[in-house]
Amino acid sequence: MKYCKSCHVHYDTSLEHCMLCNGDLEKENDCVETYKFPDIEKKKTSRFFHRLFIFMNIVSVLISLYVDYLDGLPLTWSLVVSITNLYAVVMFILLTVPTIWTSKLTKSIIVTVGMLILIGLAIRDHSWALDYVLPFAVILNILLITILIIVNKKKWFDYFSSLIIITIIGFIPGLLNLLNVTHVTWPSVACFSYSLVTLLGIIFLPSKSSREEFRRRFHI
Amino acid sequence: MKKQKYWYKLDNAGKIFPAVSQDERSNVFRLSFYIDESVDSTILEEAVNRVLPRFETFAVQLKNGLFWNYFASNTHHFEVEPEPSQVCKYFKSHRNQGYLFKVYYFENKITLETFHAISDGSGAMHFLKSIVYNYYKLRGFKIDHEGKVLSEKPYSKKESEDNFVSNYDKEKRKNLKEEKAYHFDGERFSNHWVLMLKAKMDTKALLNLVKTKYQCTVTQFVTALLAYSIYKETVDFTQGKKPLKIFIPVNLRPYFDSVTLRNFSLYIKATFTQKRTDWTFENMLELTKEQFKDQLDKDKLQSRISSLVGFEKNVFIRVLPLILKTIAFKIGYNILGESISSCSISNLGVVELPSGLESRILDADFVNAGYGIAMTLISLKQQTNIIMSSPLKDLSIMNHIVQFLVNEGLDVTLDTNYKEGYDEIL
Repeated sequence: MKYCKSCHVHYDTSLEHCMLCNGDLEKENDCVETYKFPDIEKKKTSRFFHRLFIFMNIVSVLISLYVDYLDGLPLTWSLVVSITNLYAVVMFILLTVPTIWTSKLTKSIIVTVGMLILIGLAIRDHSWALDYVLPFAVILNILLITILIIVNKKKWFDYFSSLIIITIIGFIPGLLNLLNVTHVTWPSVACFSYSLVTLLGIIFLPSKSSREEFRRRFHI
Repeated sequence: MKKQKYWYKLDNAGKIFPAVSQDERSNVFRLSFYIDESVDSTILEEAVNRVLPRFETFAVQLKNGLFWNYFASNTHHFEVEPEPSQVCKYFKSHRNQGYLFKVYYFENKITLETFHAISDGSGAMHFLKSIVYNYYKLRGFKIDHEGKVLSEKPYSKKESEDNFVSNYDKEKRKNLKEEKAYHFDGERFSNHWVLMLKAKMDTKALLNLVKTKYQCTVTQFVTALLAYSIYKETVDFTQGKKPLKIFIPVNLRPYFDSVTLRNFSLYIKATFTQKRTDWTFENMLELTKEQFKDQLDKDKLQSRISSLVGFEKNVFIRVLPLILKTIAFKIGYNILGESISSCSISNLGVVELPSGLESRILDADFVNAGYGIAMTLISLKQQTNIIMSSPLKDLSIMNHIVQFLVNEGLDVTLDTNYKEGYDEIL
């Protein structure tokens, strides 16, 4: 133990000076004081590179929009560059946030499809994105998660949210087709039908435990 | 028998924490036991995994529903870790096998850090006692639990009950509007480091002082002492427009006959106006006593429980998707959450241990890292520890508190996580 004569307090730690008055501490007895906390480690500076990456992408967006704007014509190529830059930032954030990989996969597919549709709109030709990319990406995602659930039944409830979300998104191509936004019918119908079958399967096929999971996820 | 698979809705106190927690505001609290030998991490890990299935409310992982988060059972193997230098460090459950608590070891210290969404101090203390008891059992010691170690008792469903909901009374709701409180300003330690200063003193001497000289409880005494120290040591409090408000969590279990291990505490506030410039310790203590008496009333506590639960039962809140609720909680907490309190005091009381275990546990810590100054009290054997923690570099309030205790004739021994040379790093 150590003692501070000015503050009249004992110290049970290996400090040499009093924290309160900065005076020298006197040794009271032969007991060896120990420091009971781990030493500070220097923090990694990885966050700096995260920020730098986001910053560089934003700078790229601003510069390309400005250069394109100087032409005096409607914005064209700069929109594609900007969308790609923003896509890179969103994907970077999405992939660095810790979560289960099926959730990352679903979100990545949604973001990628969204990016392709935006590029389609930017180049004034979105039909390839809405007619083909969207329905096939959704079908592929539903198929992947369904296979995962069948293969890894124990963890099926971890994939459940992703399956529900992507199944609901699967109805969008069908609706777009009904509203005459898309022109090629069969991919949208295939996607709509597959989503409907999956949703009916979720509702009618499950066991008691699946219904319980449904209750948990949707409790209000 | 206990169920293998289970799930819970988050309790009222825990609902907001997943949305608002971050590096600067971890909502994690620490309980530590210093034992009589160097900790064997392999045995400690075995002890935690042996105890965990018994503590249903700790063996959980946080899941997202469409409208609310919920806890689902977690059967992953739990891994203990070496203690980090940062007290009450924020952690992501995804990197902790989904668990919402951490068990650390450092030399002869076993530390449990718990995310507030799953439990409060009383619940976590039961868990830590059970871990340490089982640690010694695995080391080959035969210790009688004397009915004081929860892991050795049969499981009761009451331990997992949400007592906020069970004590909700629609008729007793009242408006909980609060004015903003004075806030400390100052330079913070870097890397979210929190300074901890532990003042150890003899429990009998402390009780003698508060009972004989001041006729109050220990919590009332330290509340008045903290308020008085802030009044004396800050220059901007009396010049400002906001009162000093000390947040004091109250364990509701004794009031409502509860044994839950989940959150079941509410808070009271000791409020001191900034308009008065002639405060003395004595009149601050008198006001503290009056405010405690007024607020620690079962009916008033129940009416506040009902108001809080009533908020989450509001139809418009309930139908809001979780993603929007999370955004709303974040905004609401940033605007209101911290601004209605200046600092906090939490008294965990006396740690009751079986005699065979008591002789092996040398000391205990209870730390709550919050904004301004967070003060915590824990008593073990004949000793009471008043632990002050702060992310701010200003020691003047802590200094005043220690000097006051010394001047009152108490023999104070200090311990800290501060080390010479940290000034250059932090």
